[in-house]
Amino acid sequence: MFLTLLAHQWRSDLRSSVFQKSLALNIILALLILYFGGIFLFIGFHLDKLLGELYPGQNVVSVFNGMLLVYFLIDLFFRFLMQELPVLAIQPYLHLPISKNKLVHYVLVKSVPSFFNLLPLLFLVPFKVTAVIPAYGLGIATGWLLALMTVTLLNNFLLLYFKRQMSNKPLYTLAFGLVIVGLMLLDYLDVLQLQVVSQVVFGAILSQPWLVIVPVLLLVGTYLLNFYFLKAHTYPEELQVGKAKEATGGDITFLNRFGEIGKLIELELKLIWRHKRTKSVVTLSVMFLFYGFIFYGNGKYLDGFAMLIFVGIVLSGMTMFNYGQFLPGWQGGHFDGLLTQRISPYQFLSAKYWMMVPVMVLAFILTLPYGFFGYKIILINTAALLYNIGVNVFVVFFFSVQNTQKLDLSKSATFSWQGVGASKFVMMLPLMVLPILIYLPFGLLGVPYAGIAAIGGLGLLGIIFQKQLLQYSANRFTAHKYKLAAGFRQS
Amino acid sequence: MVTIDNLQKIYNGTTVVNIPELNITAGESVGVVGNNGAGKTTLFRMILDLIRPSKGEVFSKGINVIESGDWKNYTGSYLDEGFLIDYLTTEEYFKFIGDLHGLSGGDVTERLAPFMDLFNGEIMGQKKYIRDFSKGNQKKIGVAAAVLSNPELLVLDEPFANLDPSSQIRLKNLLKTLREQKQMTMLISSHDLSHVIDVCERIVILEKGQLVQDMQTNENTLQELETYFTV
Repeated sequence: MFLTLLAHQWRSDLRSSVFQKSLALNIILALLILYFGGIFLFIGFHLDKLLGELYPGQNVVSVFNGMLLVYFLIDLFFRFLMQELPVLAIQPYLHLPISKNKLVHYVLVKSVPSFFNLLPLLFLVPFKVTAVIPAYGLGIATGWLLALMTVTLLNNFLLLYFKRQMSNKPLYTLAFGLVIVGLMLLDYLDVLQLQVVSQVVFGAILSQPWLVIVPVLLLVGTYLLNFYFLKAHTYPEELQVGKAKEATGGDITFLNRFGEIGKLIELELKLIWRHKRTKSVVTLSVMFLFYGFIFYGNGKYLDGFAMLIFVGIVLSGMTMFNYGQFLPGWQGGHFDGLLTQRISPYQFLSAKYWMMVPVMVLAFILTLPYGFFGYKIILINTAALLYNIGVNVFVVFFFSVQNTQKLDLSKSATFSWQGVGASKFVMMLPLMVLPILIYLPFGLLGVPYAGIAAIGGLGLLGIIFQKQLLQYSANRFTAHKYKLAAGFRQS
Repeated sequence: MVTIDNLQKIYNGTTVVNIPELNITAGESVGVVGNNGAGKTTLFRMILDLIRPSKGEVFSKGINVIESGDWKNYTGSYLDEGFLIDYLTTEEYFKFIGDLHGLSGGDVTERLAPFMDLFNGEIMGQKKYIRDFSKGNQKKIGVAAAVLSNPELLVLDEPFANLDPSSQIRLKNLLKTLREQKQMTMLISSHDLSHVIDVCERIVILEKGQLVQDMQTNENTLQELETYFTV
């Protein structure tokens, strides 16, 4: 029975539309996994030497043990952000003659072979071979590895439990989060040294291998905690799935002043606010505002121009790129409805334009403090902003008619490749490379500031002819709308 | 009101719709019946300019629907859930549609009043998003939104499907009232022969994309249709 369930799961993964649709995407995904896997393996094999150099004269294994606690806390944090709850899958089985225990075990065991649980093995095993075995012998080293893997699984089940509690008992989850933050804070204030605690705890396992029993018992306890909780709540409506959320957010009356375009903007803002995937796009975009530190903090980029232009374009434009690359797939679910309403394609696109412009201006204002790294940055970013508003928006509109895939808005954006296709990569090129190409001849002639002016000037031209460009985009949209509507109906 | 001229839709060599001629005069209510795959929905989509015909034209008030969006001002339509903006609450959705047609909040409430029986207290003031409603209730919302603008032409695909018996009868009476009081032109597809005969004065039968029969409703129509569909 258990195997049948697993086989079903395997088929559901294999037959999911995303997986089947694009071979190229799967290859890219596989390469990414290989790449990161390779990095972890490499780190694993060289960690002993690395730590030896960083902390000369200290025992490598005990330094490593010192870092483990922090590592596990970070692991928990990332799991909290990214790990999904495996629940929905049991819904079709609940009414069949399969014992509840089996189903619950299945749900729980299914969470074990995940990316998060297997990744640590990639660097723990090599480190065990290169550093732990030579110092402590095979037996103790194996016990140590077992303990660490047990803690990894402990994290897995702890997180499942608390993330599930979030919907009905948010205080539990909050308290859990506060404890972790508190620990980090205590460490930062030097009240409690996590490193020392960690060294003692994991060192104990090396000196007294039978202590492995402690994490194992903890794991069993957490597993049972999950088990009994799930068993008592195997009703879809009691779990997070399918729970109707109460409507939130009122009308944005301020936008009413802008007539029909204002209405459409309000509609789209609600779309963003009320869906998981759009919200995570917004969060992601906010994180991109910090992108500047990587480049501005590094003196060698500040002398050049090309790289700074790239950063400028990204800083004010990233929200628009992230959101715009899928246009109008966000509205794929009700595209037919929009087409039959009294909305002209021109209004439809204008609303998107006037929603994006304030966002880009806001991003520009928020990143103004980067000017402390040099006034040149403000100059370049202003030109980039103009270029984004005047040219790049229309580049996004130009490519948007190729997006015939409807987006599933209820899924989080992390690890979601749905809707991502080769066209997205092609589209990013003109957005970011074109301004640099415009700058290039001026840069080579030794008049870099003229190049910046050219980028800004081009943007300004786009802003002046904004109406004509919007009309052109609207005509293009009209010409492709049947293809778009047909695509959305299918997916 | 609506004129169809030599309309064809061909997918990969298969003709799904092929209608040489069809005229619907203002105030007429036309029921479209036919088995699955007869091309009813495809026909409606072409009338609403959602699918580009392979050949031929659809004229609404004499204007080709592809060339101008004017027909949207006087056409209300609901084909499937793809017409609903499902992340809005019912009130927000009606308000949005009302705003597009320049209706005030009071107008919207007034125009929805006849629907209160049909809504059965389950639609308004629910504090939940349209996506969380049942299929039947979503249909009621969609039909009400289509009628909201007081359109001259109303296009509905399977309005009775997914509704409970009481709701079916209420909707039927509602549509009849609209037809009689406002002379609304209607184009309704349905698998429920008796309901569609009650509402519509003219019935056309589609089969494999072809218009095979076109008749005025009388007391024998139901019998004729049943004979036709008995295989």
